Amino acid sequence: MGPTELARFEEIVLPHLDDAYTLARYLVRDEHDAQDVVQEAYLRALRHFGTLRGDGRAWLLAIVRNCARTWRRGRRADAAATPFDEELHSGESAGDETERRLRRGEARERLRTALERLAPEFREAIVLRELHGLSYREIAQVTGSPVGTVMSRLARGRQKLLEALGPGEREAG
Amino acid sequence: MSCADVREQLGAYLDGEVPAAVAAAIAAHVEGCAACAALADRERALAAEVRAALPAWRAPDVLRARVREALRDAAPRAGAWRPTPWQGLVAAAAAVVLVVGTWIVATDRAAGAALTDDVLAAHVRSLMPGHLADVASTDQHTVKPWFDGRLDFSPPVTDEAAAGFPLLGGRLDYLGGRAVAALVYGRRLHRINVFVWPARSGSGGGGPAHAGRDGYFLEHWTAGGMTFWAVSDLNRAELVSFVRLLQQGGTGAPAAP
Repeated sequence: MGPTELARFEEIVLPHLDDAYTLARYLVRDEHDAQDVVQEAYLRALRHFGTLRGDGRAWLLAIVRNCARTWRRGRRADAAATPFDEELHSGESAGDETERRLRRGEARERLRTALERLAPEFREAIVLRELHGLSYREIAQVTGSPVGTVMSRLARGRQKLLEALGPGEREAG
Repeated sequence: MSCADVREQLGAYLDGEVPAAVAAAIAAHVEGCAACAALADRERALAAEVRAALPAWRAPDVLRARVREALRDAAPRAGAWRPTPWQGLVAAAAAVVLVVGTWIVATDRAAGAALTDDVLAAHVRSLMPGHLADVASTDQHTVKPWFDGRLDFSPPVTDEAAAGFPLLGGRLDYLGGRAVAALVYGRRLHRINVFVWPARSGSGGGGPAHAGRDGYFLEHWTAGGMTFWAVSDLNRAELVSFVRLLQQGGTGAPAAP
């Protein structure tokens, strides 16, 4: 242990900051909350650096995911009456990024909204698969679920997204 | 393979997550089944669409800076740091007490478990700067009288420098609910604490004869009406030979109260 240990942590774990932030963005659905979650996750990761085995990326993403869950629980306690999977953020105009994305077309906007409205366990599976490119086994590791559960969550999540994109789908939001 | 079977695993198949034999069977089915082929196309299109529609974010520079700063602030508390001597000792004490505590639960739940913890903690505490000795002297004739008037008993004190265990000093400590004598010996860079108190006081009993893990060893014996605990990070063989010296050298002989 020594100052080199922090350097080693930074060398191994800091390169995954973009991945961590991406996951946090999709899990907490707010830019600033995502930053708080990522910072908390890194502090937690530092405290538990000794438990790191193998790939730092999946290990860090698991911590980010747990921090996001903790954040959501606190949030739900604050706003107990808000059904957080449905209305939260669904129709917002959340700044520059959203406006840029709006230009990409209605279908994509619908897809994005549909993903935001998925229950967290489906959303995280899809984000980890499509954005982070994790294998089922890695997703299972990050979410603490069996591989079979990962598979069925992906299938159900994709089914819901397809429904959202399909013809005759009601306007999202 | 039926359409239902194929559709159940279609996503995993497209993700390359099914065994080769299953993949071959699905591929063969999809080739001959227009409906399943259409579903497969749709799934592929969705995956591409999701990746196109959903950005992978780049962490803002401000977040990068925040995280770095938080890590540097937290590092001294997080376990990934170079401890000052006393921080290291406190951590070591906690670790040792935990380990020994666990070991004792597994082997001996009787009285003495807490005492063993206390003895170890006292040893580690004594290694903090300025805590080792209240009277620093290699002369047993200085150390022994120093305890007079400070304790209600007179601990046996001998110098074992001839055998390579020089007496370094003594101090008062508090163990098992009473004030006890702590004698400090050296062995190269190692320190040995010998805690002594009257066995008849009721707090002397209990505790294993040997204990230790993770670099600390404890030896516990009773002689001449006194309870002795020797603790050190010295290797076990040398600690045992030191204990024999004390026992054979007459230091365990009854001392006048």
